[in-house]
Amino acid sequence: MLLPEPSEVLPEELAGLWRGQFGGPAPRPLAPRETVEGYGTFTFPYGPISMGVPESGRFDVVTYGERILELAPLGGYKQRSVLAALAGTPVEDAALRIERIAGNFSAAHVAAFLAAAESARGLRVPVVELWTRALAQELQRIYNHIHVLARIAEAASQNVGQAQTHALAEEILRLQARAFGHRWLFGALLPGGPARNLDRAGRHALSEAVRTPAREFDDLWELYLDSRVFVDRIQGTCPVPREVAVRWGAVGPTLRACGVPWDDRLRVPEAPYNDLFVALAREHDGDALARLLVRVQEVRASFLLIEQMLDRWPADVSLSEAPSPPVRPGRGVGRVEGPSGDLVYDVSVAHDRIVSVAARTPSQANWPVFAFGMRGAVFTDFHFAFESFGLVFAETDR
Amino acid sequence: MELWGGILTAAVAGLFLAAPLAAWRPKLGYGTSAAAAVLLLAASVETLVGGTIHGPVWSGPLGDPEGLTLNGLSGFFAFAASLVWVATSIYSIAYDERRPSLLAVCFALTLGSIALLVSSSSLLLFLIGWETMTVASYGMILQARGRRDRVFSAAFVFLAFGEASTLFVVLAVAGLRLGTGTFAEVPYLVPGTLSTLVFVAALLGFALKMGVAPFHMSEWLPIAHSSAPSNASAVLSSTLTLAGAYGLFRVLSLLGYPPLWWGAVTLGIGAVSVLLGSLFAAVSEHTKGLPAYSTIENNGLVLVALGVALLARAEGLTELYVFALFAAFYQALAHAVAKTVLFLSAGWTEHATGTFDLTSVAGGVKRGDRAAFAGTVAATLSLAAAPPLAGFVSEWMVLESLFQSYQFVPAWVQFLGLISGAAVALGAGLIVIAMVKFLGFTLLWSPASSAAPRRSRGLALPIGAVGAVVLGLGVGAPWVLRFLAPTVSAFVGSPAAAPVGQLLAVPTGWSILSGSPFGILSPPMIPITIGLGALVGLGYYLLGRPSSRPARRAAVWMAGSPAGQPGELYTSFGYSTGLRIMMATILGTREIRSSAGSVSEAGLATPVPYSVDLEVLDIFKLFYDDLVRAGEGLAALLKHWIMPGRLGRYLAYILIVVVAVVIYVAAAAG
Amino acid sequence: MPSWIEQAAHRGILTSRYPRERGSDAEVPPTGRAPVPSASAGPTGAAIAGCPVGAIGPEGVEPGRCIRCARCLAHGYRFGGPVEASFRAPPGRAGPEGADVGDEPAPLAPLGRSLHLFLVDVGSCNACNLEVLALANPFYDVSRLGLFFTNSPRHADVLLVVGVPTDAMVEPARRAYDAMPFPKAVVAVGVCPCSGGAFRGNPGLRPSLGDILPVDRFVPGCPPTPVQILDAVLRVAGRARREE
Repeated sequence: MLLPEPSEVLPEELAGLWRGQFGGPAPRPLAPRETVEGYGTFTFPYGPISMGVPESGRFDVVTYGERILELAPLGGYKQRSVLAALAGTPVEDAALRIERIAGNFSAAHVAAFLAAAESARGLRVPVVELWTRALAQELQRIYNHIHVLARIAEAASQNVGQAQTHALAEEILRLQARAFGHRWLFGALLPGGPARNLDRAGRHALSEAVRTPAREFDDLWELYLDSRVFVDRIQGTCPVPREVAVRWGAVGPTLRACGVPWDDRLRVPEAPYNDLFVALAREHDGDALARLLVRVQEVRASFLLIEQMLDRWPADVSLSEAPSPPVRPGRGVGRVEGPSGDLVYDVSVAHDRIVSVAARTPSQANWPVFAFGMRGAVFTDFHFAFESFGLVFAETDR
Repeated sequence: MELWGGILTAAVAGLFLAAPLAAWRPKLGYGTSAAAAVLLLAASVETLVGGTIHGPVWSGPLGDPEGLTLNGLSGFFAFAASLVWVATSIYSIAYDERRPSLLAVCFALTLGSIALLVSSSSLLLFLIGWETMTVASYGMILQARGRRDRVFSAAFVFLAFGEASTLFVVLAVAGLRLGTGTFAEVPYLVPGTLSTLVFVAALLGFALKMGVAPFHMSEWLPIAHSSAPSNASAVLSSTLTLAGAYGLFRVLSLLGYPPLWWGAVTLGIGAVSVLLGSLFAAVSEHTKGLPAYSTIENNGLVLVALGVALLARAEGLTELYVFALFAAFYQALAHAVAKTVLFLSAGWTEHATGTFDLTSVAGGVKRGDRAAFAGTVAATLSLAAAPPLAGFVSEWMVLESLFQSYQFVPAWVQFLGLISGAAVALGAGLIVIAMVKFLGFTLLWSPASSAAPRRSRGLALPIGAVGAVVLGLGVGAPWVLRFLAPTVSAFVGSPAAAPVGQLLAVPTGWSILSGSPFGILSPPMIPITIGLGALVGLGYYLLGRPSSRPARRAAVWMAGSPAGQPGELYTSFGYSTGLRIMMATILGTREIRSSAGSVSEAGLATPVPYSVDLEVLDIFKLFYDDLVRAGEGLAALLKHWIMPGRLGRYLAYILIVVVAVVIYVAAAAG
Repeated sequence: MPSWIEQAAHRGILTSRYPRERGSDAEVPPTGRAPVPSASAGPTGAAIAGCPVGAIGPEGVEPGRCIRCARCLAHGYRFGGPVEASFRAPPGRAGPEGADVGDEPAPLAPLGRSLHLFLVDVGSCNACNLEVLALANPFYDVSRLGLFFTNSPRHADVLLVVGVPTDAMVEPARRAYDAMPFPKAVVAVGVCPCSGGAFRGNPGLRPSLGDILPVDRFVPGCPPTPVQILDAVLRVAGRARREE
């Protein structure tokens, strides 16, 4: 069973596929937990502060040594109550906070939020604005996928490779800063963002600038595929069976790596994706390698999308045609395909101020399958598995 | 010498006399044992220093002279055994008053019978001692606490293997008697079927007692699976297996020139034992099972050294022959002494925690008495072959003799030496894991919540004292080895004249040479070097302390989580699980889950509790299980067809036998 | 067959010339700097009212609060603050930007040149975390300056703290600080530990990292760029970039 259509989603369902994820004090389970006992078993606490996982979050590893019997991701350490505190704020101010829920997914979050808010307010958005959001999202998708590759290479001690890949990720950050004025695209998708350089000259410069990283990425990936050590290490690591991924509601590359053709950009084609060629990335093994292969295909697809977008950029339309905001409260759902998967925002607005916001983030959907896949793995699999899902604690502790 | 003969007699008699005294007052029995063991120790030292001791001689039932004597060979084993007994007996006095007096009786009988078989001048007396020892130690194991059916089955397994051993030993002795016509110690030098038969029977019989692979069931099952009393375990593991080694050396010293394959077989059995024993020790979760497996490893090392010695003898490499013999003896000595401490210490920790389960003991014991702690550390490190302790010297010698297997001419023997060397080296590594686990999880790591063991000087002092002996045997190895020269002479001497000059050349000054062109080791230099280093550090600390900022204690860093939460401590089981997974083919590791229902079926909302156990098994146990099953099948067959319980059938049997005898007698007469 | 070495050689030297030279525009985009009123700035009242985090006051822009949202650009402000903008004073009492640069002794000066860094996230959005980790990539390559990331606070000299302090992270952060040996320094990275940033005032959050740990240097920015983080670390080690 895949997720229901956005219009059928209730806010309380959006709160979590597994309700235990929300509410409760700091060591808060992010995945359903079982009780494992046995001779010699013990719980090995990893976190909340560890350089292996640069965010604050804890993993309770139940083990009898060496092998992970059960892995319980525990969140809540960085609970900032962002969504709860949004009630009563103007939509524009709320967007500033939404994009800071998870900095490396800011474009996806703010795009989904704005879509939901616009639908709630009954606003029609100029096409060029939709294209800008898509461009920002594709750039950020590339960044995140390359970052995942770099982190996995780091875990596999591919020292030259990880340095080169991290450098490539930094190049993408700089591209984002050149195009949108901010390395993490904060404020870039809001009207009057910091320094949006998307006039004709800016677009031309960007399409020139994007070619180098695209070529470099292809070269790098060839080299990774030549490294048998690297491929061996992630092949078969943390496998997620297709039926588990579907039943537990996994999203994004995690789901597509199990062979499920689910991509929000293709589901209900909206501008600009209805006008562009979007390649579906799909693998079938469901392991860390499959997830990485999906990401690699998506990086290539995103480079191609950016090229197409910059080629066929729509004519500028000013935003002044926006109708006056309705007085009655409205509710809208926005849904985009973020770098780590399907991202849904459900926003209620009244008088241009937020009434309530609910969200279902990809990390939230993928924590349970990650915990499932780790059962039976050994300690050293952890980092390869964790990075391959692209999980972010900040998306659950919001 | 009259005086020392008398002392020897008094010692053996005293050890036996302790039995009736123990029946009356157990503590008196243990005290008598201790005193008699001191006498035996004195006599054995005199033998090694001054020469053979002759005790009383009388005429045996079959007309052979019987008597008590100690020569270089038996003197050495008496020395090692009595050292252990002194400590164990003193320990036993304080060990536990609530133990039944029968334990003390069997304890005394075991000691007496081992002393008898070691100091017997004839093989008949040896056999009597051997069988008494088996029965008495069986009685000791029966005194274990715990579920009666388990204790009985463990004791039964021990007795079964013990009697199988006796059977083969009787065969070997009978073979010798057939060859020489007497029970007295007369060498039988004729090569051929009979000496081969004697060798095979002796190897089987004594290897059964030493508990080496594939007979290690006899060693570990009773000790590990029943909670046998610790003093009994120490005697069994240290001196019962020592008696097995002694028997093998004694019979081999009576046999002539060994064919190449004798050494090869001995070496092979030894190498397999080293590997299996250390592997099982590393994954053992029992504070007495772990040392018991280590016994298998150590006896394997004795056999490895003996195997190299026999090969060297067959190849005519006198120097290697002598060196490997030194290695074998030193290994036996080092093991007996160190292993005693481990079992005594296991009994000591059991006082604090009430269990022998390592995972439960872990973190449950405070260091308590310093002497006992230091003794345990010394013995554990010695068994892990850490310099400069006794086990290090002996293991170095064993490995050195293996390294020299390149001198053997046949390629297959060289290859065997290579393979065995690899097995021994791997075993030496694995046993370090085992010993670190034992020491780390019993004593080294003691959180604040742990209970202190009962403060008892009687328990702690023997542990500390034997620990000091372990250190002494290591540091003073070059000098101790010189005292073993008579032992090697006694073993080598009977069939061929000993190259005494070369013998004494092996320990040279402060160091040990492994054959003149090969390796050299100087154990005393190790503590001297460490001491000098410590002096430098101390001097730096006293003279050049750069900063006066006081030391600050911070909590353990557990990735930001509070440290030391219950249930979050690494278990000893977890410590060796890596090995269980890596060696799954040998260990037969399998995971047993309590609930078949997998998580994905259960869905997200209803977590299912389940339990997981990782089990290892012994492939040889499977073999013996099959053997038992076959035996039971055979018995059933006998029951049904040959002995169905009908009187008529039995009368018919009698008739058939009578007829057969009549025919045979008639034929013989005719 | 192409090789890693060939690939690396082909790309040439990427590494920043910072701190020998000042940070370039590629390294510090406009949003890396705090806004300052330009000559043509209109009345401050509109800017004060328009600032969503209250960073603009009558006496100027408070860098420890600004999240670089660019609202004030419409009121004649421009991103023109200094690149090296870390400060020592607790947020809320911060003087004009950069006023105290190099004035006070560096806390880690006696340590010599090599430092080990440990990252603690007390409630960030992950952007600051990634900017801190970016210090290790070939563009910044802090190991050339003797700076290394370590996996345990036991080996760390500098604690880099990112995020707005949540109640749940107070104890873990203090444990990390206690686990460090002396001498040690704490650098608060980003506007969140300075003042709570965009989430100031949300339930369960502490107003400033200064309330739970002794902070040696605050690095404003949302997020600060790697060069600015590097500047703060070098400053606590007494190795700040000097203008020629």
